[in-house]
Amino acid sequence: MNKHRNIFLQYFIFIVFISLFGILINNLAINLIRTGIGINFSWLLKPASFALAEYPLPYSASDTYAWALFIGWLNSLKVIFISLILSTFIGTLIGFARTSTHSLIGLIAAGYITIIRQTPLLLQLMFWYFVGFLGLKDNILIHIENIFKVSNQGIELYGLSFSSEFSALLFGLSIFTSAYIAEVIRGGILSVSRGQWEAFRSLGLSEIKGLISIIIPQALPAIIPGLTSQYLNLAKNSTLAIAVGYSDIYSINDTIINQTGRAIECFIILLTSFLFFNLIISNSMEIVNKIIVSSKKYN
Amino acid sequence: MFNINSDSINTLFQKVRKLLFSNLFNTVLSLVILLIISLVFFNIYKWFSLNSSWEVVTTNLPLYAFGSFPTDQQWRPATWMICLLFISLLTLFGPKWKWLRKNLLLAWIITIPLGLYLLYGGFGLSPIMSRQWGGLTLTLLLTIFSALLSLPLGIILALCRQSSLPLIQKSSSIYIDVMRAIPLISVLFFGQLLIPLFLPVGIEIDRVWRAIFAFTLFLSAYIAEDLRGGLQSIPNTQIESANSLGLNQVQIIRFILVPQALRIALPSLTNQAIGLFQNTSLMAILGLVELLGVGRSILANPEFIGQYIEVYVWLASVYWMVCTIMAVLARHLEQRMTINKTNFQKL
Repeated sequence: MNKHRNIFLQYFIFIVFISLFGILINNLAINLIRTGIGINFSWLLKPASFALAEYPLPYSASDTYAWALFIGWLNSLKVIFISLILSTFIGTLIGFARTSTHSLIGLIAAGYITIIRQTPLLLQLMFWYFVGFLGLKDNILIHIENIFKVSNQGIELYGLSFSSEFSALLFGLSIFTSAYIAEVIRGGILSVSRGQWEAFRSLGLSEIKGLISIIIPQALPAIIPGLTSQYLNLAKNSTLAIAVGYSDIYSINDTIINQTGRAIECFIILLTSFLFFNLIISNSMEIVNKIIVSSKKYN
Repeated sequence: MFNINSDSINTLFQKVRKLLFSNLFNTVLSLVILLIISLVFFNIYKWFSLNSSWEVVTTNLPLYAFGSFPTDQQWRPATWMICLLFISLLTLFGPKWKWLRKNLLLAWIITIPLGLYLLYGGFGLSPIMSRQWGGLTLTLLLTIFSALLSLPLGIILALCRQSSLPLIQKSSSIYIDVMRAIPLISVLFFGQLLIPLFLPVGIEIDRVWRAIFAFTLFLSAYIAEDLRGGLQSIPNTQIESANSLGLNQVQIIRFILVPQALRIALPSLTNQAIGLFQNTSLMAILGLVELLGVGRSILANPEFIGQYIEVYVWLASVYWMVCTIMAVLARHLEQRMTINKTNFQKL
């Protein structure tokens, strides 16, 4: 009796939803016909006719929209990948510092974390761009001949040059994410019982050696899930590139919408690209997790 | 007198010594860090006193607080914000009288229609269009209304995901997963762009409410995910015993599942609220003049050109302050909830 009622209820709710959805789609269709846009993807093959400041593969304004989107996609991937590495590095350092027995170091790490976490990422990005890089004007911050140079033109490293937009985004994203990663690392380290610390100390291992060979392997299973979600957030946050003028996938979509008015198609493209980014990140973290679990079994 | 004093100084001295100078390595490390800290502070102090000019902040204070709200009407948002601050302070530091504690929740609820009335006007106040809202007022408004609307939607989504009815369960989990996979700025942007397309011809929603609507759609997926953990941790025996007591489905959800799931998920929910407050700043690049938007428009003014550091430091400290107040309020709420729980267990 109850079961029948439930099934009936389910279909009832579903029909209500479908009809609501139908009304929305109907409105959309009416509006699209009214504005004369419609939905199709043939515009992807037309020339984009806008310039891009940064392109890892050859690009000119006469190339197609599809190629411009692909360039944006590569740009996104580039900034996500490098800041993923940088933020993990900084985050790990700050995370260790936060759990340090030396109270001054712990205090500095805690201050860093609250300042970074309690202010909006967008504000931080603007700070890095307008104050950090463009604020340098003509003077050069660091210059080691042929190796490393930081100026308002961006960063140069062994002949590789990164634009100031890219560098500001990289710094902002990495530093913002590092504060969150630090908390994840700290949680992982605290999840290892105190007995383990005392054990390796009494065995005569040094603090750093014990941390690397005893504590971290045990903390990793607790760290990996948190780290994965921070990486996913990093990928999503990279769309704030538009605030500093870096041409990532979102900002190129934005330009295309302004040019062609194809909002719905662009939304679908953006959605699939982010599902893809998420898939890459979560699958590779899954592999890392498996490796860790299996290596633990061997021990 | 003298003895006590020197004793306490001695213990303090020993404490500092133990903390910072316990061995040679720590001593060197502490000295280096102290040196760096003092250098940094000295430079900041030098910049503060010599190179910075804070006129860009002090002359524009009303702009940061109220945006382009008409000058003669600015007492309205001011009243609202002072009410919010006063109730926050009362909640945190107020006396523990029972009648006050009972009515505080009511006071919090009243601030919401009060805010709407004061901002929109009507009924004796001159009406003001939402495009004139701005500054911290708009930031707070976006935060409060998005949080308020996304909580019930998030609860419904979380319950749907736990449902035994496959169609409902599947569709809500698809919604939650897709929403969590895409960046907030795209949801906000398409909210501004697409919501008008999905509405019947002739009906329009203004930009502020479109933003609130987009924030709600986005945040409710995250809230649903946070609540899922809470719902899953409630043992099945509770539902069985509720069933055997004769409670119906709605009663079980209302009295057993939702309150417990909310309590368990409270820490992550407060993190979401703080994140939401920070994320309202994204509306600055989508055309709303909220707190960060005001900063941007002031920096675009030729009179204050290039004073990025002052404006950004000021904005960061405002954001930091409000986030800290929110975090402290949340901790207070958590403590109260656990106190209630222990009382309940004593019974």
